[in-house]
Amino acid sequence: EDAAEESNVSAELIAHRKRLVDEWNAWRLLRRKELGGADRPQSTDESKEEIE
Amino acid sequence: MRPILLQGHERSLTQIKFNADGDLLFSCSKDNVINVWFSHNGERLGTYEGHNGAVWTVDVDPESKFLVSGSADNQLRLWQVATGKCLYTWEFPTAVKRVAFNEEGTQVVCITEQRMGHQCAIRVFDINAEDGAKQSKEPRYMFNPIGSKATVCAFTLQPNIIITGHESGKVALFNVKSGEEVENNERAHSEVVTDLQLSKDRTYCITSSKDKAARIHDTKNLMVIKTFNTETPLNSAALAPNRPYVLLGGGQEAMSVTTTSLRQGKFETRFWHKVFEEEVGRVKGHFGPINTIAVHPAGTCYASGGEDGFVRVHHFDDTYFKAKPYGDLEIFD
Repeated sequence: EDAAEESNVSAELIAHRKRLVDEWNAWRLLRRKELGGADRPQSTDESKEEIE
Repeated sequence: MRPILLQGHERSLTQIKFNADGDLLFSCSKDNVINVWFSHNGERLGTYEGHNGAVWTVDVDPESKFLVSGSADNQLRLWQVATGKCLYTWEFPTAVKRVAFNEEGTQVVCITEQRMGHQCAIRVFDINAEDGAKQSKEPRYMFNPIGSKATVCAFTLQPNIIITGHESGKVALFNVKSGEEVENNERAHSEVVTDLQLSKDRTYCITSSKDKAARIHDTKNLMVIKTFNTETPLNSAALAPNRPYVLLGGGQEAMSVTTTSLRQGKFETRFWHKVFEEEVGRVKGHFGPINTIAVHPAGTCYASGGEDGFVRVHHFDDTYFKAKPYGDLEIFD
């Protein structure tokens, strides 16, 4: 809460940035999978997938 | 972030490159010399002397065994990194403007300049790693790229496909075997492409241009992923491994700043957030335009080479690694 108050960043901008990061990460994952799974980033999404 | 000043060149820097381990930094210059430095303390380890013209470009293989350089003396040279010995020299009709090893270090691609009736040419040489002094005189492949001349190039992940940047601002993919342009983006930039650096996995790259912009491209299909618009012509762009930043350098030579008594010059390396396309910081230092930037392969430091003849190495401090200027979102490299 404090952090949110301190920052002047609007909720809209936060949502926009979240979307940009999601797009970027989706593209990165796609390219990395094409490389055969080597060098995969350590992400929660990724580990979930591996468990499945 | 106290910089280390590397003093050893007498003229402007043209390209700098870290080796794969990041312990060595290679620099080449219009003073005809290539230097190698320890990146952690800036101590000069040695020089590679023999070119008789400005050295425009340099690259080192993944094992740090061989160095290649291209020069205004129309030569491409292969050097032994450890001894400084020139192992082999290839001669061309015009200057060598750009060289790059492939990922394995088994081939080198080079661009020779268009001049005096000679077309711009791209050649690929096989590198004989067993005996560095025994190289094939003739290229494995050679072709003249159609349209605008090439200024920068690199091997992609796809076999025999290189990515090129051109004088017109075009970015293209060429098949080196056939010389065919397999993909292009004519409007990637509106002016000359000045630098092209690959991500570690070679799936994307960043280009810089005199049109004041830098762009991230997907090396598979040349899709423009990100654009960074600055207010100065850019000479170099680098990707920061493990952090979501790109580093941009350039600048217009200003006549009025030549008589300064300050220790620090005004020319800045600009840090941009690579996903949000927003500038996050600047580092001052050079007394003239920044010609070349390289980031340590582990992302622990970066170096810039200037028109002023200096190389500045900046080791990032804790705040750089801890800073999360836009919150906790995880961004893949």
